[in-house]
Amino acid sequence: MPPHLTDGEHVHHSHHPERTGPQARRALRVGIGGPVGTGKTELVACLCRAFAGERSMVVVTNDIFTKEDAAILERKGVLDPERIAAVQTGCCPHTAIRDDISENLDAIERLEQRFDPELVLLESGGDNLTATFSRALIDVQVFVIDVAGGDKIPRKGGPGITSSDLLVVNKVDLAEMVGADIGVMDRDARAGRGDLPTVFVSLRHDQQATPVADWIRGLLVARAGVGAVV
Amino acid sequence: MAPAVTTNLASLLLLADGRFPVGGHAHSGGIEAAMADGRVRDVVDVEAFTIGRLHTTGVMEAALAAATVVRLCGPNAVTERVLAEIDAEADARIPSAPLRAASRRLGRQLTRVAGPCWPDPVLPALGSIDPDGPHQAVALGGVAVAAGVGARDAALLALHHAATTPIQAAIKIAGLDPFALAAVTARLAPVIETLALVAATAADGPLAELPCSSAPLIEIAAATHDRTAQRLFAT
Repeated sequence: MPPHLTDGEHVHHSHHPERTGPQARRALRVGIGGPVGTGKTELVACLCRAFAGERSMVVVTNDIFTKEDAAILERKGVLDPERIAAVQTGCCPHTAIRDDISENLDAIERLEQRFDPELVLLESGGDNLTATFSRALIDVQVFVIDVAGGDKIPRKGGPGITSSDLLVVNKVDLAEMVGADIGVMDRDARAGRGDLPTVFVSLRHDQQATPVADWIRGLLVARAGVGAVV
Repeated sequence: MAPAVTTNLASLLLLADGRFPVGGHAHSGGIEAAMADGRVRDVVDVEAFTIGRLHTTGVMEAALAAATVVRLCGPNAVTERVLAEIDAEADARIPSAPLRAASRRLGRQLTRVAGPCWPDPVLPALGSIDPDGPHQAVALGGVAVAAGVGARDAALLALHHAATTPIQAAIKIAGLDPFALAAVTARLAPVIETLALVAATAADGPLAELPCSSAPLIEIAAATHDRTAQRLFAT
């Protein structure tokens, strides 16, 4: 099944990114969270490919073992290693993105000072369904789940499922093999998320994460528009 | 003796709270490397490691923090000069490059969170010491002044965190008994009190004579740890 949007108009009702801090930032900061093994690092790699040559970007990773994800990105060669920072979270991936954002904010600001990017991707360490990002750290958050985790996941809810700005359901190519019903996942995601968009993808087959990249492009365009007015 | 500063206790409690967002959760105070090497295995080892840390880098950092408070509160103190002098003393006392970097990182993170908590001219001054931020002990001293915390209590804070950082990390790394380790922390109270007094007394003397006790194994292990892929903590 090709990747597709379940909510084609999503870009128009995404909120305007809040500009925190005394100075308006240029970069859009996107948090990427979700359980272990669902494809967060793969999504980051896909987005690096999608935006290569199009947008200046940097990436901060938070894997449990600190350099694993950064190393994967470097091996894939999708982004200059200088533009990737690995942050240690001391067994507390959720703390590092929500309760005590010091280390991540520090890493993001250092990369922003150095490269003045248009886009920052912050990949959380794999965590549970309650892990969400502080709004002081990121502008929008993407939550990644997969069909292999079971089609009950959207119904279980939790802030990652219900309140993320974009829900990504990955590995749809495995649905039949693991007995997951995409229709059920779509229905439950809509019920829990209201107007917030959900996309179904197979990152293994869509190596540019097209629907996610398009969603981010929409935000970047909207952000530039806001900046122009100000 | 410098004039005694009456500590604002509520501010002291906030600065002592592990939930205060300064990024400390990402650090193990060297115990992850010690456990990986097999030098620390159980609760008894954690207690011994922590006592060693308190008597070496702990009291050194405590004295730097206390000296920062004493000098910032001294007559005719020029904030920028005081901070730069003590920051240089701190730099000379941390031989391991990754620990120096971590100290500056934690220093700038503490300065950041303190800004909206206790607005004070000392905080922007802290931020301008070095492009990478002030050393953690200097930041702690400066923030203590902004928050209304005295020199001895700034030393207490430094020692409290010197103890709780490795102890909390050990719980996560090896699943050690959290009740037993809470008891260890409580038992260390007299050590922490005594060393805080040592640090505060030294803080009244010349900067060059502040404690410079070091823990070579921690310093060396930190350099190795920094290159280890399989680690949970930054230091």
